[in-house]
Amino acid sequence: MDTNRRGFLGAMGRVTIGAVASMAGAGQSAQAAIDKPHIPHWGMVVDLRKCIGCQACTVACIMENDVPEDSFRTHVSVYEVLKEGGDPAMVMLPRLCNHCDDPPCVPVCPVEATFKLETGEVVVDNTKCVGCAYCVQACPYDARFINHETQTADKCTFCFHRTSAGLLPACVETCVGGARNFGDLDDPESEVSRMLRENEVSVLRPEMHTNPNVYYIGLDAVLDGRVAGEAAYRPPLTVETQPHGEDA
Amino acid sequence: MSTRRNILKGAAATGALATFGVGYADTLKKLAKGHWSGERPDKALAGNAPDPEYRIDPETGDLALNSDQALSYTMCIGCTTMCGVRVKVDKTRNEVLRVAGNPYSPMSTDPFIPYETSVRDSFRAMAQTGAGQGLTNRSTACGRGNAVLQQVTNPRRVLKPMKRVGPRGSGQWQTISFEQLVEEVVEGGDLFGEGRVAGLREIRDLETPAVEGAPEYGPRANRLVWMNCVDDGRDNFALRWLKQSFGSNNFTRHGSYCGGAYRSGSGALFGDVKKMPHAKPDFSEAEFIIFAGTAPGNAGNPFKRVGALVAQARATGKLTYVVVDPVLNNAQNAPSGDRARWLPIKPGTDGALAMGMMRWMFENDRINAAYLAQPSQAAADAAGEANWTNATHLVVVEDGHKRFGRMLRGSDMGLAVAGEPYTDADPYMVASDSGPVPAGDSAAPLFFDGVAGTAGGPVAVKTALTLLREEAMAQSLESYAQDCGIPAETIAGLADEFTSHGRKAAVNSHGGMMNGSGFYNAWALTMLNTLIGNLNWKGGTMIAGGGFPETKGPAYDLANFPGAVKARGLPYGRNAPYEKTAEFRAKQAAGKPYPADGPWYPQAPGLATEWISSLVNGYPYHAEALIFRNTNPVYGIPGIAHVMDKLKDPAVVPLIISVDPFINESSAIADYIVPDSVMYETWGFTKPWGGVATKATTARWPVIEPRMAQNAEGQRVGLESFLIATAKRMGLPGFGDAAIPDAEGKLHPLNRAEDWYLRGAANVALLGTPVGDASDDDIELSGVSRIRADLEAVLKPGEWRKAATIYAKGGRYENIERTYTGARATHAYAAPMQIWNEGVGSFRRAATGSRMPGTACWRAPEFADGSRVAEHYPEADWPVKLVSFKSPLQNSYSVGAKALLRIVAANPVMVGRDVAEPRGIATGDMVRLTTPGGQLDSVAVVRDGLAPGTVAIEHGFGHRGFGAEDITIDGHTTPADPRLAAGVLLNDLGMMDPTREKAGVWVDPVSGTAVRQGLPARVERIG
Amino acid sequence: MQIHELVGAVYEAAWLPWAVQYFFLIALSATALLMALPGLALGRVAALPRARLALMVAVTTGITAPIALLADLHQPGRFWEFFLYTNSSSWMAWGAWFVPSYVGLTVAFAWAVHRPGFHALGQESWRFNWLFRWLSLGGASNGFARPLGIAAGAAALLVLIYTGAEVYVVRARPLWNTPFLPLQFAATGFVGALGLMLVLERVLCRDAALEARLNRALAAALGVVAVLGAAWFALALSGLSPRHSEALASVAGFPVWQKIALWGAVSVAVPFVLALVSPSRTGLVTGLIAIHAAWMFRWTVFMGGQAVPKVGSGLYDALLPAGLDGLMGVIGTFGLWLFLLIAYTTFIPWTEASAPADGAAPARPATSH
Ligand SMILES: Nc1nc2c(c(=O)[nH]1)N[C@H]1C(S)=C(S)[C@@H](COP(=O)(O)OP(=O)(O)OC[C@H]3O[C@@H](n4cnc5c(=O)[nH]c(N)nc54)[C@H](O)[C@@H]3O)O[C@H]1N2
Ligand SMILES: Nc1nc2c(c(=O)[nH]1)N[C@H]1C(S)=C(S)[C@@H](COP(=O)(O)OP(=O)(O)OC[C@H]3O[C@@H](n4cnc5c(=O)[nH]c(N)nc54)[C@H](O)[C@@H]3O)O[C@H]1N2
Ligand code: SF4
Ligand code: SF4
Ligand code: SF4
Ligand code: SF4
Ligand code: SF4
Ligand SMILES: [Mo]
Repeated sequence: MDTNRRGFLGAMGRVTIGAVASMAGAGQSAQAAIDKPHIPHWGMVVDLRKCIGCQACTVACIMENDVPEDSFRTHVSVYEVLKEGGDPAMVMLPRLCNHCDDPPCVPVCPVEATFKLETGEVVVDNTKCVGCAYCVQACPYDARFINHETQTADKCTFCFHRTSAGLLPACVETCVGGARNFGDLDDPESEVSRMLRENEVSVLRPEMHTNPNVYYIGLDAVLDGRVAGEAAYRPPLTVETQPHGEDA
Repeated sequence: MSTRRNILKGAAATGALATFGVGYADTLKKLAKGHWSGERPDKALAGNAPDPEYRIDPETGDLALNSDQALSYTMCIGCTTMCGVRVKVDKTRNEVLRVAGNPYSPMSTDPFIPYETSVRDSFRAMAQTGAGQGLTNRSTACGRGNAVLQQVTNPRRVLKPMKRVGPRGSGQWQTISFEQLVEEVVEGGDLFGEGRVAGLREIRDLETPAVEGAPEYGPRANRLVWMNCVDDGRDNFALRWLKQSFGSNNFTRHGSYCGGAYRSGSGALFGDVKKMPHAKPDFSEAEFIIFAGTAPGNAGNPFKRVGALVAQARATGKLTYVVVDPVLNNAQNAPSGDRARWLPIKPGTDGALAMGMMRWMFENDRINAAYLAQPSQAAADAAGEANWTNATHLVVVEDGHKRFGRMLRGSDMGLAVAGEPYTDADPYMVASDSGPVPAGDSAAPLFFDGVAGTAGGPVAVKTALTLLREEAMAQSLESYAQDCGIPAETIAGLADEFTSHGRKAAVNSHGGMMNGSGFYNAWALTMLNTLIGNLNWKGGTMIAGGGFPETKGPAYDLANFPGAVKARGLPYGRNAPYEKTAEFRAKQAAGKPYPADGPWYPQAPGLATEWISSLVNGYPYHAEALIFRNTNPVYGIPGIAHVMDKLKDPAVVPLIISVDPFINESSAIADYIVPDSVMYETWGFTKPWGGVATKATTARWPVIEPRMAQNAEGQRVGLESFLIATAKRMGLPGFGDAAIPDAEGKLHPLNRAEDWYLRGAANVALLGTPVGDASDDDIELSGVSRIRADLEAVLKPGEWRKAATIYAKGGRYENIERTYTGARATHAYAAPMQIWNEGVGSFRRAATGSRMPGTACWRAPEFADGSRVAEHYPEADWPVKLVSFKSPLQNSYSVGAKALLRIVAANPVMVGRDVAEPRGIATGDMVRLTTPGGQLDSVAVVRDGLAPGTVAIEHGFGHRGFGAEDITIDGHTTPADPRLAAGVLLNDLGMMDPTREKAGVWVDPVSGTAVRQGLPARVERIG
Repeated sequence: MQIHELVGAVYEAAWLPWAVQYFFLIALSATALLMALPGLALGRVAALPRARLALMVAVTTGITAPIALLADLHQPGRFWEFFLYTNSSSWMAWGAWFVPSYVGLTVAFAWAVHRPGFHALGQESWRFNWLFRWLSLGGASNGFARPLGIAAGAAALLVLIYTGAEVYVVRARPLWNTPFLPLQFAATGFVGALGLMLVLERVLCRDAALEARLNRALAAALGVVAVLGAAWFALALSGLSPRHSEALASVAGFPVWQKIALWGAVSVAVPFVLALVSPSRTGLVTGLIAIHAAWMFRWTVFMGGQAVPKVGSGLYDALLPAGLDGLMGVIGTFGLWLFLLIAYTTFIPWTEASAPADGAAPARPATSH
């Protein structure tokens, strides 16, 4: 199992800083704590051992976020893997935007329509986006797409409209196996921080140095990037692509 | 420049510019639209995501509800699991926006929150303010459950009553009024211009026998037969109408083509082949589980609960498990390493595996002798056992003896019995040094093979366990290994591992048993549980905790009413002893009682599968009217295509009514369709069918206004209004103004659905220690305010707030602490396990007059006449085996929920690499599958995750209903949507039993259940 | 290890065939403009015949290119935002400034070059003389041509740099993220421009000497393309550059890519050989193949590149996006270009374009002779 030390240590780093910050707030100056309320840094820990490939997350996201036909903000890839000398086995791999701390999708945007929120989410302002799709090209995870309906870039928002109301992201709330876990990486007491501490974790495409905020438990390195293998059979109907034209 | 050239140039320039214009038109249109070339979403960053259902202040924990939305706890019917869910409703649009789980419900949450929790706090539990930032009590809907709200607004829903025009199944319909519908089906007449059709009023004849000279079949009213899906929580209402009011005894559910073989095998072990109790592993506490023929997380029931518990247990708990399955699917999980293993097996051969394991266990002394040796409840209690078995009981094995296959009883020995012989009062006999003695309160010998000196002379007897051991020893381990394709060492290793965890190990099964030897395979698998004595133990197997029945409660008696009819007569599916029929008596008188004209299944429950054969053959008699309710046997039963022409012939069954929201494959052949409500529009009460050890009743109520048309009285057309209206028109008892007795015997009306279900809710609420009153806040937050007026109007002042609690919390759930009492299950199964089941061991097969083993065993599949299937269809000609498995995403009727098809659009046929390679089949190739039952062409996907010699088809695709074919209503044609028809259906390859004189599909000989696993087949590449 | 995806998502290409058209046309324009400079800006008379064709190509493709680009924006009505919020870290944002500058300067340069011609037409007595008088702005000097040409040349270089860099910086796509890419864009740009000039030469001039010179230049450009391609391959195969190896590995296994590679090699080799062996008779053929090669290179890079999933298995269907719409975009852009070409050859006295008259240029006094 390949652990992305850099990313992992990054998270640990944040956890430590978070702990120091809250200690400082408690110990030194209560006033400082009031002035600077704790700002969460949202992250997700996906425990692949718990994913049953039910796609509840995929559908919940579609329903919650009105994701148009032929696009996904998240989905779960299902693989049959056969290791040398082993038995065939199943891997269900949930994919979504990593809300990277060094997101390659942001600097390329010509009009600053996509940016990172204070709490870490990478979002798109659809009133500003010119639909040039440069960010779509730049994301190393296929996490972005052009929304046919709005004609602007679209992607997972970590459901910030829900998390800012104190709720969980739709995909996390409905995760049947309990594979998707969401919380504040800057809070050492959070479930996600605990999971990061207690498990070996890795990220997708560590070589891209994007510093993702989505971590995986149980991710085999052979699946962490472009997967060398046979693609899912796609019946002709699924690949009947819709052009982006407005009449489509 | 010449003019000619200029003209040419001009023309070329114009053409070029025009071409540009065409290509650029979209861009120009977009430009003309200005700032928004696309549709403008609601919000700049969050797009069209609706406002959150509520907001919680992170500091204070205060909760503010979104006033445009209602958030209600009700039930999903996206599959037969019927989970408690939380539905988010857009109140102004009367539309469901999204679904999540109900945190009170064990079907959706683990650990589920205490029932006393207020609705407000239940909302907090699911948010970041909840335990573990909302992760601990997170409550879920599955992929399907998230999507099926689209079924409510499915444009192909039937909303008005429909009557066929043109021949049955031609897809031509006209809409009619509810009143016309009721009149026509009740009064009959020349309804289709094809001749007179008897109406329900005429058929409801409680005097004339259904069959002249055969009173055992009951009255003519039985000629109305009713086919039902699973109980969606409304069956009691339907049964009241059918059995107690109309007087027909013929009601069946889908069990015989669901997992009936497993349930029957388990029923034989649990000693009740009609109700078929079964236990499930204690997923959280078990250390080792063998899933053979059920796929936790891929399908299974309760789908989410099992999937979630197994996922947690393999990741952070103590569980290791093996999935024995011809197909590798989502039940296995590579990241869990050795905790989750896949063991491929030849389809239909689990009996060989289980008997092989048993052989090893007997040979290595790895059975739980202490448990098995207790011959009675008293002995078990004394020994500290949580259950007992008949392992030590003696069985008569004397050939030709009239008690052959039955247990030796005190009366057989000539003992004085306090009651009738062979009743509970008549003791079972166990071996002792001094010959057979009544089973007492201490351990008895496990093995005995000898002679009992009975009152009628010496009789050969053996203990039940001796008989089981003989079956286990009947083949060598190598021979079992040969049969099931699993190496002998692996079988031995599995047996070793299984018996190395004390009672914290379990075997579980289900749909994989729907093969030709399914009944015995299932019995053999479940027998493994008994051999280690895990029943009722924490970490072992546990039965369902049951529910809070709505019909019989302290407030109202919904189960009885003045004037109720007692329906009677042998069941239409021939799941009764043939020996009770006039046919038997006549044949016996003629000296040759066997074979009967068709197979009978005395050891089976209601058999929908056999009904089809009864319907088309008129054996035991012809039905005059058939009601399909929310069921789809035409899609679900393998091989039914072979009799479809007959079913479409109105001369065979003159009237078919379907109550269904959709034109599925079965309602497509109906004469009338009564539109029905979809999930969130309906009422009902259900309990889990297993896997939940605490009591649980889930309540469903209309959280949105139903979309069906209204009748003249302003009620929505649907099952309840249809039954009430027909009952009233026929003047049947049990409906109308004085129909429901309360505790004081006062009669209350049953004129609309609310009259029934709200009183049911009061019963659920008041059973045992009554639930608390719903507060105004509970009612408001849960959207029960929508039905508050009805609650207050129908129920008594002391009742309504309690009933409101049932709806505010989506049901009634016993708290999770009640799962165990000490190391045992709180709700324990008390009756003994049947190592030998005398019912099974003593009946005669109607088609052969021969007997079947009364204990678990391994037998290759047989047809009705007792001949081996392999003799008819030898492996040389039919070298591969075909199985189907449930789609992890789809259900048999979810295809119309569009969000699912965009994830997986079809089900290519899965071909094992060992099958594919010699035949030159590669992924993407077209292949032709042929079985003795049919042929289909499909795209192939070649996989490693299939057992040798196997081809598999994911179930849930290959539809012809639901809009997969053209439908014309009132002259307007809705063309077929090819996406809905995508893929293939294994059942199109299902087989007939060639040895049956009267057409019938291939079924398991004991349980009478449809065979969809292990079909003999050929596969070839066609392009 | 064998991996078989059973469920996976498909992503559509987000840059449509319009983008291919843009990158194709703008590269042709910029490289052609550079080839117009020796004759029309620097005053090398011998280079004039070639420069006239080059300018024609530069202007017509240069105007068409941004129009195609606009169509690749899903929100074309918001194009002005490029100028309102320039994100300095985005090459595309810079491109938004470079491209109009370049097109503006190129058109201005062409105007300056043809001003004497316009002036002359304005003096003749015919129906449209008023138009040409207006076009010549009342003067006959083409002295601005040199500075405008040099400025346009600089802008052309910026365009070549930004178009290359914009694609090259996309690390997410190994096929794009190679330092060779900007060079390949430029080299194939020359190939395409020369190809187009050859075809135009065949249609409009029929000057065998010019044909031969263009063909030799084409051979040189093809040679550079071949060397770059070979170097890319060598680097990828040697494993010296993991990035290139990854790029190769991401497509090498797919028959469709093997065919593309072969096809690409053939479309470079065939015109190369023909142009060298028979430079003065093969212009039409080499020209057409060269245009095709330059276009196909971009199609492969953009559509093919987008067909490679970044995280999943197999290929998406983007390589050959079905549907008339995509095709109409491609054909439509060529329609516009053809229209512009007809207008150019009809209304502009392009055959008379000559080197800047030094005396007239205020910056360059006659004494400098
Ligand atoms: N996702 C999903 N969940 C569902 C449903 C659904 O449609 N989809 N339906 C619900 C219903 S109605 C039911 S009854 C349950 C059924 O739940 P299960 O019984 O768990 O599911 P099945 O797919 O019917 O069968 C289980 C497995 O048996 C395997 N099998 C086939 N033949 C054999 C055999 O000979 N031996 C062994 N050992 N295995 C064999 C199949 O490959 C399959 O994986 O699921 C419920 N939950
Ligand atoms: N080859 C193969 N065959 C199989 C299986 C398999 O795995 N493989 N699985 C088998 C199993 S386990 C089962 S349980 C059976 C199922 O088979 P059935 O029980 O006969 O039917 P279903 O297909 O579940 O159909 C129920 C019908 O109810 C209707 N319905 C759907 N939603 C609603 C609703 O909200 N309200 C109302 N009123 N009606 C609704 C729909 O028209 C639907 O067709 O199929 C079996 N057949
Ligand atoms: S995953 Fe892609 S879209 Fe998401 S932040 Fe990272 S680079 Fe951007
Ligand atoms: S598509 Fe929109 S968000 Fe993405 S880079 Fe272009 S303008 Fe920015
Ligand atoms: S966080 Fe929200 S937007 Fe992102 S994948 Fe989950 S549901 Fe979709
Ligand atoms: S909902 Fe959870 S368990 Fe289901 S597929 Fe998504 S991540 Fe996996
Ligand atoms: S398992 Fe899924 S589809 Fe079935 S009832 Fe539960 S939520 Fe609905
Ligand atoms: Mo089922």
